[in-house]
Amino acid sequence: MASVELKDLTKSFGDLTVLHNLNLTVEEGEFVALVGPSGCGKSTLLRIIAGLEEPTSGDLTMDGQWVNDLSPRERNIAMVFQSYALYPHMTVADNMGFNLRISGMGKAEIKQRVEETAEILNLSELMSRKPSQLSGGQRQRVAMGRALVRNPDVFLFDEPLSNLDAKLRVQMREEIKRLHKRVRTTSIYVTHDQIEAMTLADRIVILHGGHIQQVGTPTELYRNPANVFVAGFIGSPSMNFLDATLSTGGDRATLSLKDGQTLHCPLSDRLPAETEVTVGLRPEHLLVAPSGANDNVLHGTLELLEPTGAQNHLRVSINGSTLTAVDNTLASVTVDQPVALTIEPEKIHVFAR
Amino acid sequence: MTDVTSNSAAAASLSAERRARRRKRAFRKALMPWLFISPYLVLFLVFTAFPLLFSVYLSFQEWNPVTGLSGMSFVGLANYAQAITDPWLWKSLYNTVWLAIATGIPQHVIAIPIAYLLVTAFRGSFRHLYTATMFIPFITSTVAISLIFYTIYSSNNGILNQWLLGLSSVPVIGALFAWVPDAMPIRWLGSSDLLKPAIAMVVIWKYTGFNIVIYSAGFLTVSKDLYDAAKVDGCNAWQQFWHVALPMIRPFIFFALTLTIIGNLQLFEEPFILTAGDSGGVSQAGLTASYYLYLVGWEWLEMGSAAAISWILFAFIALATSVHFYFNAREGLEGHN
Repeated sequence: MASVELKDLTKSFGDLTVLHNLNLTVEEGEFVALVGPSGCGKSTLLRIIAGLEEPTSGDLTMDGQWVNDLSPRERNIAMVFQSYALYPHMTVADNMGFNLRISGMGKAEIKQRVEETAEILNLSELMSRKPSQLSGGQRQRVAMGRALVRNPDVFLFDEPLSNLDAKLRVQMREEIKRLHKRVRTTSIYVTHDQIEAMTLADRIVILHGGHIQQVGTPTELYRNPANVFVAGFIGSPSMNFLDATLSTGGDRATLSLKDGQTLHCPLSDRLPAETEVTVGLRPEHLLVAPSGANDNVLHGTLELLEPTGAQNHLRVSINGSTLTAVDNTLASVTVDQPVALTIEPEKIHVFAR
Repeated sequence: MTDVTSNSAAAASLSAERRARRRKRAFRKALMPWLFISPYLVLFLVFTAFPLLFSVYLSFQEWNPVTGLSGMSFVGLANYAQAITDPWLWKSLYNTVWLAIATGIPQHVIAIPIAYLLVTAFRGSFRHLYTATMFIPFITSTVAISLIFYTIYSSNNGILNQWLLGLSSVPVIGALFAWVPDAMPIRWLGSSDLLKPAIAMVVIWKYTGFNIVIYSAGFLTVSKDLYDAAKVDGCNAWQQFWHVALPMIRPFIFFALTLTIIGNLQLFEEPFILTAGDSGGVSQAGLTASYYLYLVGWEWLEMGSAAAISWILFAFIALATSVHFYFNAREGLEGHN
């Protein structure tokens, strides 16, 4: 196991800079997810850590050793690719043992290590098959096995579950989590799926436009997003945003919406200094207000009702904006009729605009 | 009662009419595909099936085409028996196999690494330009190429001999060519020992570019992820080529080898031009099976014998291709998903 540290890491392709002065430390044994939308530079960063791309400037260290010039093998990393990248002409056993064979290990030891790894991943029955004879989930496990068999210092995952169907993705997610718990190898996991990142990672790094937006535990990112991008990216359904004017007076802050409706939230040092702000309201924190409630209540019209079984998703139009609310109470509401939503003051997020 | 009878008769007539219409429709439907493929069928029957069957018939006849169709006489298996005991046929088959091996192996041994380097080291327009340049010999007339090489190989004024002489007088490397002045004039096309290698050079020069194009296409199908995975697995450049790229283009190797085997066993134009059509050159060293077939049929006008030889050559090519398929087809045709 090794720690990984990036110092002022920059990557440019010609005139296009895709990673800007990144600084990040991944502790030994930690599981860190790099999350962001397509084109944010997360896969490029992973490839730089793997040694498949060279950084334009900055330092990359593993366990304190400067590794910018080292080949992937010398870094002792293992990588699981999005396409799995299994060698089609080799059997499962050959695929898993290939890196050991290249390193010059004896046949008997390769066999033993491959068999042990196959046992962990329930691949023992498939050892003589070719990748084309495997299902998506089985291929994914072979790709994991190939990485695991060499006992690397760092595991790198490049969107390994994105080619699987939803059910299998959940199952494999659990397997990866279980595996990490067992081997505790430092892992860096790239995904655009925030649920995957939230469920798997000890810490999440949110990337956008080649910049790190925020680093934190899943709970930190959910509760205290640093900016509108992080707030909108983490959480499903996405956070609702409304423009408002912030004023402080007494023991609480007041947020006045364009249509005159107001919300109140507690004073805190997290409130921006500006008066023109963006208010963030998580759909699951918006509740259908009981009749007669008048504090922190937003009045609007129900545009759409989406029942999902355990809860209803309400699409409510408020002064030209559409808010999503998740109603766990399955309240009796009617489309095109007025509806009132309320939120606890502590759950309101305020961002500088 | 009469009404009932007339009604049932009318119903029966209607139903017979419907059945007839249905049969007609079904017939038209069945006929339609045949109508669509009939142009091809006609061409196939006239230009492929008929000559093929006619050559089988001809191989049992003695026939000089100058005498017309009435000049045919049935000789049974005599043409085959004569061909098999003909030393020129065996010599031509030996030459064909020699040239097939001497030209076939280098074509691929040269083409595969060059194609790999082109695909991995060069990008975009340069690769296209280079590949197109390599392809030019393949699309150039074999007659023109052979004529150019005929002059290159000329013993007195040929560029090749002049170069060798020039190299022999260059300091340092001249020592390697010290034997050249004594050997002059080297008769590339006039010596039975040098004729086959001279022909082989032309064939290699002409077809290597074609194989480079095939292999370039093959290497381009290998996913970049596989090379990345190989790098992560610790492969150096050679190991990436040997363990990943080469096994991945097996179907392309199989295809290119099949074309080479068939093409080389039908070698005709290059030896024909380089030996000036003179019975296969000195000691028949450049006489290939197709060349011999041409001599028998069109020079000596023994069409029956030529037909028999053509079927022997067919059997020979089929055998060689079958051996190739037997050993290589399973892996060569295996698709990689």
